[in-house]
Amino acid sequence: MEKVLESYLEKVSKYLKRIPVSERADIVKEIESGMCELQNNGKTSAEIIERLGDPKNLAKAYLGDLLEAGTGFNWNRFLALCAFYSVAGFSGMIIIPSLAIIAPVFIVFGVLTPVMAFVKMADYILGLGIPYMENIQIVFNGIEELNPVMGFAFAAAVGILLYMAGKGAWKLLLMYCKKTSRIKDKLLL
Amino acid sequence: MGVNMVIDSWKSQIKRGTLEFCILLMISKRPCYGYEIMNKLDTWPVLSAKESTIYPLLRRLLKDGFLSSSWQETAEGLPPRKYYTITDKGREYLAAMSQEWENLLTAVKGIEEE
Repeated sequence: MEKVLESYLEKVSKYLKRIPVSERADIVKEIESGMCELQNNGKTSAEIIERLGDPKNLAKAYLGDLLEAGTGFNWNRFLALCAFYSVAGFSGMIIIPSLAIIAPVFIVFGVLTPVMAFVKMADYILGLGIPYMENIQIVFNGIEELNPVMGFAFAAAVGILLYMAGKGAWKLLLMYCKKTSRIKDKLLL
Repeated sequence: MGVNMVIDSWKSQIKRGTLEFCILLMISKRPCYGYEIMNKLDTWPVLSAKESTIYPLLRRLLKDGFLSSSWQETAEGLPPRKYYTITDKGREYLAAMSQEWENLLTAVKGIEEE
């Protein structure tokens, strides 16, 4: 493809900045395909460019609907944006740090809890005499320490629950971020 | 203002609404690509339209779900073409437009014959 035509397409693409990248690429590809058809039918580059007109106007024709919705100052849009940033900013201040702490801590302790209970159980059954084992105590009802075997079973169950809760918090965090950015995109377009 | 100027602006007003109808009608017969549609429209000067009209119009019809599209390789060594196919929703829209079109023609005829 000739240089003039290429630079024409680049210009169109530049003026279409407000359209998402993948759609923009599709638009430019279609115009390019049309240029090649014209060329194939014996049109020169100069004729093609004259036919297509000012790249800015061609891009504007695509933006037509978008511009109609977005020109000028619009109170509703302004208020919607304000509301969005207030809610997103405020909720983000609580939700993002909470979930960001909960997720890794729960996952780590979900793994750690059964591992420690297992060590204690191994120590108890095999009589290994590992130091500091008296510090690992699994107390179910708040008074009595469980026997290490029962303790391990309990710790394993708690570990699984903690791990699942951590995973869930992580997923929620991702969902929150995705959802927020999607709403923002919609409002800004 | 001369009649020539007024008729041009009237023609472009008519064209604006009619092109959508004609393009859907054309694509409803068989899948078409943009350049092909333009060539076909060029057969009738009253409908002739350029890239800056046809491509955005096709894109809007696509976005509204009246058309679907797919890129297809060509045999002639040209770059791929974007073919448009009418959807069920598009057919429904086309049927409604055809009906309105008939109504309009009947109305004009009715007034002429009064």
